Amino acid sequence: MTFVVRLVLALAFIVPLGAASLHAQTFGPSGPGGGAGKPTPGADKPAPVPTPGPVFRPTTTDVTPPPAPPPTTAGADWGNSQVDVVYAEPQDPRFRPIRERLMRRQVLEQLRLFLSPLRLPRKLLVQVDQCNAEQRPYQPGGAVTICYEYIAKVAQLVPPTQQIGAPPPESMILGAVIQQVLHEVAIATFDILDIPVWGRERDAADKLAGFIMVQFGRDVALRVMVGAARYFELSERQWTQADFASEQAPEAQRFYNYLCIAIGADPATFRFLVDQNLMPQRRAQRCGNEFLSLRQAFVQQILPHVDVQLLKRVQSATWLMLDEPK
Amino acid sequence: MKPTPFRSMTSRFKMRCSKIVAALAVAAAALLVQTPESAAQPRPQELAANTRVIIDYIDPMLRFPRSQATLDRLRKRQVLEELSMFLSPLRLPRVLRIRTKSCGVVNAFYDRSEWAISLCYEFYEHLEQIAPQTTSPQGFTRDEVVVGGFIDAIFHELGHALFDILQVPVFGREEDAADQLSAFLMLQFGKDVARTTIKGAAFTYLNNRNPRSRAEYADEHGTDAQRFFNYLCLAYGGEPEAFRDFVDNGVLPKARADGCARENQLVRRAFAKTILPHIDVDLMKQVQSVRWLRPSDGRTSK
Repeated sequence: MTFVVRLVLALAFIVPLGAASLHAQTFGPSGPGGGAGKPTPGADKPAPVPTPGPVFRPTTTDVTPPPAPPPTTAGADWGNSQVDVVYAEPQDPRFRPIRERLMRRQVLEQLRLFLSPLRLPRKLLVQVDQCNAEQRPYQPGGAVTICYEYIAKVAQLVPPTQQIGAPPPESMILGAVIQQVLHEVAIATFDILDIPVWGRERDAADKLAGFIMVQFGRDVALRVMVGAARYFELSERQWTQADFASEQAPEAQRFYNYLCIAIGADPATFRFLVDQNLMPQRRAQRCGNEFLSLRQAFVQQILPHVDVQLLKRVQSATWLMLDEPK
Repeated sequence: MKPTPFRSMTSRFKMRCSKIVAALAVAAAALLVQTPESAAQPRPQELAANTRVIIDYIDPMLRFPRSQATLDRLRKRQVLEELSMFLSPLRLPRVLRIRTKSCGVVNAFYDRSEWAISLCYEFYEHLEQIAPQTTSPQGFTRDEVVVGGFIDAIFHELGHALFDILQVPVFGREEDAADQLSAFLMLQFGKDVARTTIKGAAFTYLNNRNPRSRAEYADEHGTDAQRFFNYLCLAYGGEPEAFRDFVDNGVLPKARADGCARENQLVRRAFAKTILPHIDVDLMKQVQSVRWLRPSDGRTSK
């Protein structure tokens, strides 16, 4: 009984937050019938107007109107976030447009809101910075860093011509960046909350990131999970003997790990992955169990660190942003 | 008659130094040499079996008559009886079945629907087949491969069983987690046991083939090469002195080796938080002091 209640709370926590911070701002209505931001009866405020379009548009010429404030203005008062965010000034001028775009979209501010119910015993700095590498792995006690180089690389991976059936480029960019942010935050969370991690840590971080990514509802899950997988597909390289000594998994493994979480979470929606041979049947059969085990780990280890009071405020504050479930 | 390596050393000392110094040297050497493998160690039989572990040597299928010899060998060695004693500190909330049987394939597996570990005769026979006659070109001995390889299969499946029965949170890939538990256990019985078992486990992934198609990466197991490095990394992280040679000779690349102490630490933390609460610590210490491996293990006695 308690288990069920807690699980419902967990999902309630993740779904509205995700819908608020990502769906409304980032995705916007995808076309006629997109239907974001439908007010719920009883809402005392009009729903903020979602800004359409991707966060990271690969062109630099886009002039976007200032975005709507974060969907839950109440968030400014939550005040409890242990997460500080910084858009570090890059030395390389190439990265300035990326920085400006991220700031304009308030990407880190939204992440901060998103993470605020997570009770961290210390401050955690999440920054975007120039690393002179694609990644700057989290060090115990340190900051979470997303590198401008990584975002630039992701944007460059967009194929010149759109293949039929492939996810749109903005989904790939979005999925890749969201998975990177959540992956790094997951590693920091394991460290800060002293969470037992069985399995290779970086795979565990991918799984926790993927678990969160599939809690935003069907449409978001489709975009970010397939987008992230598409990124791993496009960035795939040939691994040879000594490469396998890496503590990071090969891109192809990560591709399947993410898709397996998606299938485990929502078999009906992601059935097409199996039908189109993107996921071998043999693995697909196991994804349901893999997902259950992941959810059990989340409920046991992460949920106790979630602030329930804040969770309720988050719940009520973001209800009006939630799409009609499909 | 047991010639000990430090006897000759002390005689040389005696010629040069005073008797007091020599006596101190003997005492010091004796301390150093007193590894957990010394003869004074208790035998497994001093431990009671875990009553919640049900063991069974199942007769091989009639079409695999040669597995009868494997069964006889395992039974004579009391592999399952000793495994049950090994597990005596574990407080299991339900019964765990462990059986040896013929499977028709080289395998070992845990079945959630039966709470049962199955160790296939074919797997043991496979180890005997792939093990070098004496020592492989890379320095792996026959004993290491047969003993370490078999213990690894047992511990790996035990990992799956414990994750299931004890409802252990597993954030990473469970197959890797089971390998980690196996390697971690191997490192808790002194350097000699660690060398034998880790090397044996690693050998089974040594002559690996890497995926040739992208679909092979969909496997929920890591690639053989990944698993090879995972074992060596946890071993080097836990016992840097005993496994330094793998770093010095470049088998375990430096880039990975540098993080191995931390990787080992993460596994230790996970074990302490999720499995240790189900363990009787006093009994565990007894289990750790027992001499589990015998010099004859892994040798085919006719």
